[in-house]
Amino acid sequence: MPETINKVMTAKEAVSRFVRDGDHLVIGNYTAGTCAALVFEVIRQERKGLTLYSQSGVFDVEVLVGGGCVDRLVSTYVYRAGGKEGGAAVERALKAGTLEMEDYTNFQYHARFVAGMHGFSFMQVLEGAMVTDLFEKRTFMGENKYKVISCPYTGKQILTVPAANPNVCIVHVQRADRSGNAQYWGALGSVASAALASKRIIVSCEEIVEHDIIQSSPHLTIIPGYRVDAVVEIPFGAHPTEVLGYYNLDRVMYALFFMSDMTGEGLKAWMDEWIYGCVDRPAYLDHYMAKQGAESLDAIRAKSYYSAPANYGTAFTSCWDNEGKERTMGVTLDEMEKIMEKKGLLYG
Amino acid sequence: MAKKYTLDELLIITAAREIKDGENVILGVGLPTIAGAMAKALHAPHATLMMESGIIDFEPLVPPNHVADSHSCRGFSYATDLFSTFTMTYRGYVDVCFLGVAQIDRFGNLNTTVIGDYYKPTMRLPGSGGAADFISYAKKTILTMRGGEFVEKLDYFTSPGYLNGGDSRDASGLFPKGSGPVMLLTTKGVFRFDNDTKELVLARVHPGVGIEDIRKDIPWDLKVAPDMSETDRPTDVEIDFIRRFAPTEVVGRKLMYELGIAYALNKAMARKK
Repeated sequence: MPETINKVMTAKEAVSRFVRDGDHLVIGNYTAGTCAALVFEVIRQERKGLTLYSQSGVFDVEVLVGGGCVDRLVSTYVYRAGGKEGGAAVERALKAGTLEMEDYTNFQYHARFVAGMHGFSFMQVLEGAMVTDLFEKRTFMGENKYKVISCPYTGKQILTVPAANPNVCIVHVQRADRSGNAQYWGALGSVASAALASKRIIVSCEEIVEHDIIQSSPHLTIIPGYRVDAVVEIPFGAHPTEVLGYYNLDRVMYALFFMSDMTGEGLKAWMDEWIYGCVDRPAYLDHYMAKQGAESLDAIRAKSYYSAPANYGTAFTSCWDNEGKERTMGVTLDEMEKIMEKKGLLYG
Repeated sequence: MAKKYTLDELLIITAAREIKDGENVILGVGLPTIAGAMAKALHAPHATLMMESGIIDFEPLVPPNHVADSHSCRGFSYATDLFSTFTMTYRGYVDVCFLGVAQIDRFGNLNTTVIGDYYKPTMRLPGSGGAADFISYAKKTILTMRGGEFVEKLDYFTSPGYLNGGDSRDASGLFPKGSGPVMLLTTKGVFRFDNDTKELVLARVHPGVGIEDIRKDIPWDLKVAPDMSETDRPTDVEIDFIRRFAPTEVVGRKLMYELGIAYALNKAMARKK
């Protein structure tokens, strides 16, 4: 087997090498299984001036905005709960004028990455939104938020959005090999296109597996190794969010976060404890277990429910049968060469 | 004697009854997923339940935490992406979707984005998510409003209902003919839309609610259906299903947090001993 390039590194090294100030950064995960450990590392390394893309910007966006990393946000859905008494980092930043946000629908947002992953400059989206304020009200994207064109085939007016090609995607998956072939299953959302549209890709995973595992289940691979810059193995790398087949959402931890997030001071205290106060994910997990008990992690650990294996087998894996004869012609390699010589087919 | 029920149970069960057997249903988080689970378990076994994250044809075992919650079921039939879930809606394969509402106008147009000025928000709400595209292309949309408001003019127009009423939605040429919201469920009653004017019409009031209680929330002269009556009461079978399937939703977020945090603290105390 050819030797594969080893892209395995720590979260610290990956973020320090591949995430830069002023980048357009996309959170690859959609709602489930946020790449929490990578997000925390971006915050600890104090990246500034990011244009952040998150399909459904809840936990990830709240801490990145709270950490002062984000100038501009492209999203479809931000966190808000708690009614009039509630609050959120995005709302506070919008009110303070430190954050600009561009609103899209879920489909439009994903369409920007579908265009981006395929190298197209725009994508047709669903025309109903033309009557709404999503179309009318624009912030930093201005006239490039949407454009209406005439379909060259039907003449119908078509709503379009521009391609998105962020500088870097950070994404958490179930498993990957050392060269970056990343396997993800569950709610597919926009995970693959967010990664593939991006110029650089950092993959974190619950576990690194041998290449054989990937090769026998290519239908689970959403990002091919050749596109990936860094692979980081981080067990519980999405906690307090969930990873299918590994662990469930930690509802208590999640609820405590959102209660803290109601005020700026509350969020700061939470981040001081869980992000700045923990040098990496193992330190975070140690702190968690000291505080909540190891049994809290055990309680959310997944019980196995394996996918039925897909049979990638074939009738044979060599042109030569057990007797060394070629399967179609019934001759050995030696015999074949003799025949070619005899027929005058060989030169030199 | 028939079982007593909570307001949330009444809302979930009323919504669930709108799902018919064999329909393709897009479920949002909270009330709709529980309604979908109930419908599938009790009266619509051939409904195909879908979530916009691309989880298609699932059988919920616990209430999903969000629309990408593949942990709420044990596998599912079709794993596609978000893009394709919306294009299947665009092509007419989705019968019913459910949307939550923060502001609604007379013709069922919705705001879920902001209270106050978009550029200087008083309150920043979640945004569109899937709402604007689903209500545009699903055959029918069921709206739920708990804590929202009726307004003459939306602070922000997130999702299209019947636009200016009458035939304006169909006449725009942007939407499938006959599509749009069919029902609004609030904490006080059930509204439908007039066939011709497409204005909200009060169709049912929940037990103990007077029409005047509802009128005072509505800044226009509310039309009331000629056959207006009390919301149909849930059956014991429906109530039992909801309590077993979604106990935390039944008690409500506040009480769930109260009990949940007390339980977590007790466990922590027991560990220290």
